[in-house]
Amino acid sequence: MRLAVPVKMLSQRFALPVLVFASVVMVVLGKADTLLFERVRVVFADLVSPVLGIVSQPVAAVDQLLDQVQGTFALSAENAQLRQDNARLVQWQQVAQGLTVENARLRELLNLAPDPSVSFVSTRVIANSGGSFVRSVLIDGGSREGIARGQAAMTGAGLVGRVTEVGDRAARVLLVTDLNSRVPVAVDGSRERAVLAGDNSDRPRLLYLPARTTVKVGDRLVSSGNGGIFPPGLPVGEVAAIEDGIVRVEPYAELSRLDYLRIVNYGLSGVLPQPVMPRAVKAPRGNREPTLREPTP
Amino acid sequence: MRAAVARRREWSAVRIVPTITTLILAMLSVLPLRFPNYAAVAPLLALAGLYYWTIYRPEFLPPSFVFLCGFVLDLLSGGPLGVSSLLFLLTRVVVLPQRRFFVDRLFPFVWGGFTLLAAGAIAFLWVLGSMLTGAMLDMRAASLQWVLTVACFPAVAYLLMRVQRAFVPSS
Repeated sequence: MRLAVPVKMLSQRFALPVLVFASVVMVVLGKADTLLFERVRVVFADLVSPVLGIVSQPVAAVDQLLDQVQGTFALSAENAQLRQDNARLVQWQQVAQGLTVENARLRELLNLAPDPSVSFVSTRVIANSGGSFVRSVLIDGGSREGIARGQAAMTGAGLVGRVTEVGDRAARVLLVTDLNSRVPVAVDGSRERAVLAGDNSDRPRLLYLPARTTVKVGDRLVSSGNGGIFPPGLPVGEVAAIEDGIVRVEPYAELSRLDYLRIVNYGLSGVLPQPVMPRAVKAPRGNREPTLREPTP
Repeated sequence: MRAAVARRREWSAVRIVPTITTLILAMLSVLPLRFPNYAAVAPLLALAGLYYWTIYRPEFLPPSFVFLCGFVLDLLSGGPLGVSSLLFLLTRVVVLPQRRFFVDRLFPFVWGGFTLLAAGAIAFLWVLGSMLTGAMLDMRAASLQWVLTVACFPAVAYLLMRVQRAFVPSS
């Protein structure tokens, strides 16, 4: 008992410097080797995801309520808008049906391998990253639901980011606006290639555009499929501004208001190392049966 | 004798109240509120909790628990590990010697102290963040975060005061 007192005093005196030192070491190590801490993060995310899921529930409920109230006021205007949209979309549907048939026929002619089948998992956002360091969200689905590293996260509007850390029942999605996010994109139409690079601002930049680029404000960007992370053709965003040679892109997905995300599995392994790849549905190459069936007239 | 043991056990349970409340504040600060760009400017609620307890009950929030709170916040937010621990420990180092200036003062004085602390903390995060990411972080977001953090302080302090009166005995 008598020995315990000096030990306690000693530990009290040195606890603070030791802990400060430990924090600095963690910051430096984390900068050098993020894989070391990834496991810790994943385990912790798994542990807290049920709690976060419950705590974020009232937030979602209030949001829905506000949306409903707003919706009631805008009903008639929205109805008129929807009628217009509907008329336009019916036309588009006709076009799409025609193109589907034509596409299937052409694929048959070319003996093209069908696109790999796609599976979706819908998940809810349970935590936003705070602060100025990272742009990422935590979702309440993990490897249990078939989510794996490198898969694309989307909303109905467009690409949100990619899955970077996966636990059993929670995963982290790195948004396209994050400083570490790089997405190979192509300008729709001209097929010019570039890399969409986040810089923690709302509008990521376009890097590595060809020297004599014809890109202009309003151009649509889709994923190019280079690097094998995402399949080609996913809607990403649109060129919002070109200032001093810096091309800024406005993502289609509303990244500051994410609630539900669709995690899409295209069966691509890409450049990210993937220890587990659950339920990766891969179509056998050379399968000549077209995936899209002709609708019977 | 038995009463003394019971009191002592109760007392040890009370010791973790500051840590628990700070952890809850950390969790609240990462909730996905759907305001435009909320994530970048989310107030540092845990810092407010830490400041409160360091002034009113520092003995119940020792350095090890301060470290733990920062560690958990970094895990929750997905930010680089160690940054919040470092910030929180430094906060303790800065605030603890000043606590006698604040402990018996009126609330606006305490709030003023927090305004300065939050400015320092956010400047620290901004500099460290810019160093770690190798790019200048958005200064406007940092300023707005400071304003929001300071604005949230009265609510946090009020809630913690209620918690303190209900659970934590005066020393």
